[in-house]
Amino acid sequence: MVDAYQRGVQVQPLTESLQLMKSNPFNSNRTANDRTCGSDEHTVHRRLFLQGAMTAGAASTGSFSGLFSIPALGEVTRQTGKKCILLWLCGAPSQFETWDPKPGTETGGPFHAISTDLPGVQISSLMPRCATIMEKLAVIRSMKTEPGEHFQGIDVLTRGDKPRPPFTRPILGSVIAQQLGQLDSPVPQFVLLDPCPEGNEFKQFKAGNWAGWLGAEYGPIRAGGDYSIPNIERVNEISEADHQDREALRQFLSRKFENDHRSEAAASHNAAFNRVNGLMSCAPLFDLNQLPEKDRQRYGGGAFAQHALQARHLIENGSTFVMVANGMPWDNHVFQHEMHQMLVPELDNVLYQLITDLEDRGMLQDTLVIAMGEFGRTPWLNEARGRDHYPKAWSLAMAGGGIRGGVVHGATDPLGFEVVDGKVDNRNLFATIFKALGVDPHQEYELPGLPTFHRVEDDAQPIQEILV
Amino acid sequence: MEKIELKRVKDFSLPSGVLSAAVSPDARKAVVGCLHGVFRLDLETGNHEYLYQHGSYVSSVAWLTGETVVTAGYDGELCWFDLASNAVVRRSKVHDFWSWDMAVSPDQNLIASVTGQYMAGGYKYEPQPEREPSIRILSAKDGELVRSLSHVPSVQAVAISPDNKLVAAGNLMGEVRIYDLVDGSLVSKWTTPAFTSWGIIKSHCYLGGIFSMKFSSEGDQLLLAGMGPMRDPMAGNGKQLWQRWKWDGKNPELLDQTHQGDAGEGLMETLALAPDSSHFLMGGRLRGGDWNAALFDHKTGYRIASVKTGYRITEAVYHPDGKHVLLAGAKRQPTKKKEGKFQDFGRVEVYAF
Repeated sequence: MVDAYQRGVQVQPLTESLQLMKSNPFNSNRTANDRTCGSDEHTVHRRLFLQGAMTAGAASTGSFSGLFSIPALGEVTRQTGKKCILLWLCGAPSQFETWDPKPGTETGGPFHAISTDLPGVQISSLMPRCATIMEKLAVIRSMKTEPGEHFQGIDVLTRGDKPRPPFTRPILGSVIAQQLGQLDSPVPQFVLLDPCPEGNEFKQFKAGNWAGWLGAEYGPIRAGGDYSIPNIERVNEISEADHQDREALRQFLSRKFENDHRSEAAASHNAAFNRVNGLMSCAPLFDLNQLPEKDRQRYGGGAFAQHALQARHLIENGSTFVMVANGMPWDNHVFQHEMHQMLVPELDNVLYQLITDLEDRGMLQDTLVIAMGEFGRTPWLNEARGRDHYPKAWSLAMAGGGIRGGVVHGATDPLGFEVVDGKVDNRNLFATIFKALGVDPHQEYELPGLPTFHRVEDDAQPIQEILV
Repeated sequence: MEKIELKRVKDFSLPSGVLSAAVSPDARKAVVGCLHGVFRLDLETGNHEYLYQHGSYVSSVAWLTGETVVTAGYDGELCWFDLASNAVVRRSKVHDFWSWDMAVSPDQNLIASVTGQYMAGGYKYEPQPEREPSIRILSAKDGELVRSLSHVPSVQAVAISPDNKLVAAGNLMGEVRIYDLVDGSLVSKWTTPAFTSWGIIKSHCYLGGIFSMKFSSEGDQLLLAGMGPMRDPMAGNGKQLWQRWKWDGKNPELLDQTHQGDAGEGLMETLALAPDSSHFLMGGRLRGGDWNAALFDHKTGYRIASVKTGYRITEAVYHPDGKHVLLAGAKRQPTKKKEGKFQDFGRVEVYAF
């Protein structure tokens, strides 16, 4: 079945990238519904965007501000289809020092619990700001997953499931960018903000295949810290007409090569080039110094906080999925309390600022915010007074688009060893995330030579309690 | 240099991990501060008795005159306790954040407690300025605040000079400040970055710092303990590190530090100076190497004795006779209950030499 959006796309002569998709052998595996979230709202926005692109086709997009000086295009690009910001707490935060404190118990740690604006619900005293906006948050205290090591945990909690070689399941950001993104937008649809070039297991992960079978165009643009985006300065020595001529020639030759040779490498190269070309036009979005100083101070000085603000800015200006990471600082086997006394208040403020900010801007309803790591930390302290990896009972929080606030789902026992109510695994979690974003969680895929698989396997159900 | 043999003569367990300890003047009992309360420990029999609790972990214990002890905790409080009557005498909230460390002046008139929450101040996680005075000086007699002094959080170690006139405090960044207790003036300040780490991998932030400090018997030198830098701040694999500084002058001078080949890896959390100042003991956690507590000759810096305890040492205290030392700490917290309770994981040992 072909939906309205696709019909719309197919009649647009300027949507070259979609024509390119049709010639991409990877894309030939996609099902019809796979190209859209199916929501009426999003269908309208994408069509408007394409119409706007046609209207603005002759205008210069040489700069980001120039792009949005075209009213129709600017308006549509900023439209609020569902979007997502993932605060990726890599290394795995402690549930005891965040969402599931056990004050006064053997496992509770040194920090107290405080009351929140939800009657009877307490969170760590390190999170006083979030305690005032719990009616906007959905907290899951009953995560129970399998992997107990970082690489495997990161894989499962960012892709939704364990690997099934040779199939590489795309990461959440790639799926969302592909499903909900504005494909012709010069603004990157999937952005990873992470200033830390290394990070042990996360480094391995970062070097891996993010988009899986979706193809390179759905991988992230990476920025932050040492990862300033290179080669996006537009050469000023030649005229705009020369720029356009060169680009037309490049596109012709590379697509001819790609089509003649069915070259995945050429497709990837083209995808990368197109993204860099787009990035040239939106480079200011990646410049922290262009964000208002009062906003930067409000979010906090650390890289994680600054990038959370930048994530909001990117989402506001057309990105669909922004993943904010900061290396893997939460892996506190040794300095558990010494690190959490710094990291958790930063997270507390970032979540508070981000959620209130999105709400103030009328964006919260359509922007899903997720704050989670790859597992939790042990109830017991190791010899180094740290907490080790613990996937058996841990917590995370969500807010915004498609999520019902003011809900605490599930529970652990009094010492935090086991989930005793409302168990949630990675599949349930991803079904919830997809459902909240209007993406069919149980979409079936048929890949030649591979078993049938689904976006979320085994018909795992979303957590209805926290869905709007 | 003559080697000394450290011989374990006492070995006790406690229900909770030990963070701090003080030995009575007659060395027959100790008061230990744990993750979950304060305990009295009979050093002859090993019998222990729960006394009271802070609002959080108990970071420091000091013995005052007679039967009074004072403890400091992660609740930011100091608590005076009378062992004769088994009663809390006074509680005093001195910090909004933790008391990381506490020291009592040799004349037992003053108490110094240090605090500070490390919060990200810049893109690379430079610490924010303090939000409360990092050093509080109180009267040991009545708990009255005598003086508040400034530092950069987090301030994790404190010491008072033998003449009772100076207080030294060291922080996360390896910065040492020495203040005059009489007029509050800053007498000396320097930074020894060997004790701090900024994460090249995993996390771009600071961790480590100076974890213990002691004045020399003449007061003109300062011993510092902690851990050397790491690429990964969470690995805990920096060099077991002490440094000896001569500070009595305009330009503080590093006189000596852990000798090449003398140390393995691990965070060193405690320093104790022998009553006659002939040697000092440093202890902590072993990450890699063959000892986690060692005696060093004070003048030459040579390691003259060492032990591997099998648990993380958090406190070392010489007995008044100078021939015994108490080591305290914790093993891993039990992962499950047996017969309805968790097994002991706090440890106190006494070594003779």
